Amino acid sequence: MPMKPIRYFRSLGFIVLILIATEPAFATQAHSAPEGIYSHQMAHFFFIFSMGVLIYWLRARKLVQLVGWRYIQYAALFFILWNLDAFTVHLLDEQLAVIEIQRLNLWEINITARNHSKGLVWLYYFVKLDHLLCVPALLFLYFGLKRLLKKTESPTPRPVQS
Amino acid sequence: MIMSFLPIWIVDMIGSILMIVFSFMCLNLVRALRNHDQGNVIWTYLFWVCLGLAGFAISRSAGHILKQILVLTGFESAWSFIRPYSGAINTLMFVFVASVTLFFERIWKIYQQISGDKQALQKLSDELLFLNQNLENLVTERTKELVQSELNYRRIFEVSRDMILVTQKDGTIINMNPAGYQMLGYRESEISFAKKSFAEFFVKAEEWRKIKKTIEQKGFVSNAEISLKHLDEKRIRVLVSGSLDEGLPDRDATIHFLVKDIEQRRIIEEQIAQADKLASIGQLSAGIAHEINNPLGIILGYTQLLIRNETPNSEKYNDLKTIEKHVRNCKCIVEDLLNFARSSKPNEDVMRMEEAMEDVLNFIQQHAGLDSITVKKAYDAAVPDMLLDEKKIKQVFMNLIMNAKHAMGKKGTLDIATGFNPDEGTVFVKISDTGHGIEKKDEARIFDPFFTTKPTGEGTGLGLSVSYGIVKNHGGDILVESEAGKGSIFTVVLPVVSPHSRKAHAKIHSYN
Repeated sequence: MPMKPIRYFRSLGFIVLILIATEPAFATQAHSAPEGIYSHQMAHFFFIFSMGVLIYWLRARKLVQLVGWRYIQYAALFFILWNLDAFTVHLLDEQLAVIEIQRLNLWEINITARNHSKGLVWLYYFVKLDHLLCVPALLFLYFGLKRLLKKTESPTPRPVQS
Repeated sequence: MIMSFLPIWIVDMIGSILMIVFSFMCLNLVRALRNHDQGNVIWTYLFWVCLGLAGFAISRSAGHILKQILVLTGFESAWSFIRPYSGAINTLMFVFVASVTLFFERIWKIYQQISGDKQALQKLSDELLFLNQNLENLVTERTKELVQSELNYRRIFEVSRDMILVTQKDGTIINMNPAGYQMLGYRESEISFAKKSFAEFFVKAEEWRKIKKTIEQKGFVSNAEISLKHLDEKRIRVLVSGSLDEGLPDRDATIHFLVKDIEQRRIIEEQIAQADKLASIGQLSAGIAHEINNPLGIILGYTQLLIRNETPNSEKYNDLKTIEKHVRNCKCIVEDLLNFARSSKPNEDVMRMEEAMEDVLNFIQQHAGLDSITVKKAYDAAVPDMLLDEKKIKQVFMNLIMNAKHAMGKKGTLDIATGFNPDEGTVFVKISDTGHGIEKKDEARIFDPFFTTKPTGEGTGLGLSVSYGIVKNHGGDILVESEAGKGSIFTVVLPVVSPHSRKAHAKIHSYN
């Protein structure tokens, strides 16, 4: 719909006002180092959220009754677990910096918890093994897709009119 | 706490490699799915998810592998340079995969919509395919049904005893069934009435105009009694029903007529009415005749007594003779009236029909003369002897022949035929002349007493009435066919009463 003349003039006037009434300002915002880890952590949460939504709809649409989609649901679940795992790792060593790692030699590391908690050290050690979660996620996705392909390739009987 | 780095390293390295491998295997599968069903939006969705995961796997796993290699080889500073890029790309890949995943519900709805439409199209396609494959059979079957239906209606049209007629709105004949041709005296094989107007067959043009107007106004006409022209120049009374068929938009309107022949029914009705009328007149005549007959007898008796006392040829004698003559005439008329009224019992004489007819012809020849008239005789030898009142039957023949002679005038042909119908047990005597015939308007009155078309003084108008009474008195009937200007046929039908049959003998009395 074409803009009415009165609106057009009102918008134009507003732009002119901004242009003539400028003052020194910080036009751009500085992005310091912590932003990277924050955005990464938020991305993990976004990933968790989207996988949660996917699981919800797969169940709501009763697609999980089919084996292929059920595997995809498991994949989404493992991705959620992996995201939680990765989030924990980033939280401990980068965001909160409660864990300090020191490389002693090629195959040994010294993990120190700031509060000297052995439990926190062991937790960190295990959550570092995050591939144990994301690889099964992809494996389930693979099996799910394979079942879907198999089902698609099998000929579906169609009623024939006589 | 000092811990072994090996498990972390192994899981990280192998896991990274497996991530890349599995992500590409997934991508490969989803490509196969897309290739199998390219129009499926779900596979497209999964393709983009897998593409994002593959990108994520590469960015993450490559970073991890590179990190391990660089750290092990002592190039940690190099990894410090690469690390932000690897992490940023990894984050972008997360967001990409997560964003694409969120579209699942929308994609699923679209997929269902498309699937529904596809199924509907498939169903339609199947139906079309079925119709296409079976079209020939269906058409054959339908055609057969139509032919059968057409045949049924055609049979009704063909075998109907009533006329079925289809005309245009103006009355132009389109089709007429065989009964229609037959009703009008034609044969369908010899003539076609197509393009002729139905109006041409109406005796009165006014009747056609009236029917046409009614159909135009009401859309139909029901049981209108009209007269149609027959091939033999005679009229046939019919009942006409018709309805207007406005037809389809691309076809002209037609009128469908159903014409029922009621001529025979009307003739019978008229005959019944005629018989009733004559019976009433007969009763009246008999009453009058009885009342007049006695005074006439007394007058005649006293007149004859007076005549005896008078001198012949004197004035008084002649006057009394005149009275006697007229009284005798009156008595004859009364006698005729009584004959007409069937009040007297017929005598029972054994007679042969042709002999009686010959006597009558001879009598007429001698007294009235038949020289200029050709007499054709066709006596049926099968006619048996019959028990009849010979004198009265001869009177009937006399009356009929004299009427025929009068109708023909000086010249003509008189046909006399007898016949025997063993099925009905009747004998008929047919007397045909080539005289002036009987006018249509007079047909109903010819048997009425005192009705005559002869000039005043030439006839009493009792001849046919008396003949009718005599024949009816014998249980018979007189039939008349006449056409003005061409002649008349009088047929006397008498039941066979054998002289040897007592039963039959008794029957003749039952008619009295």
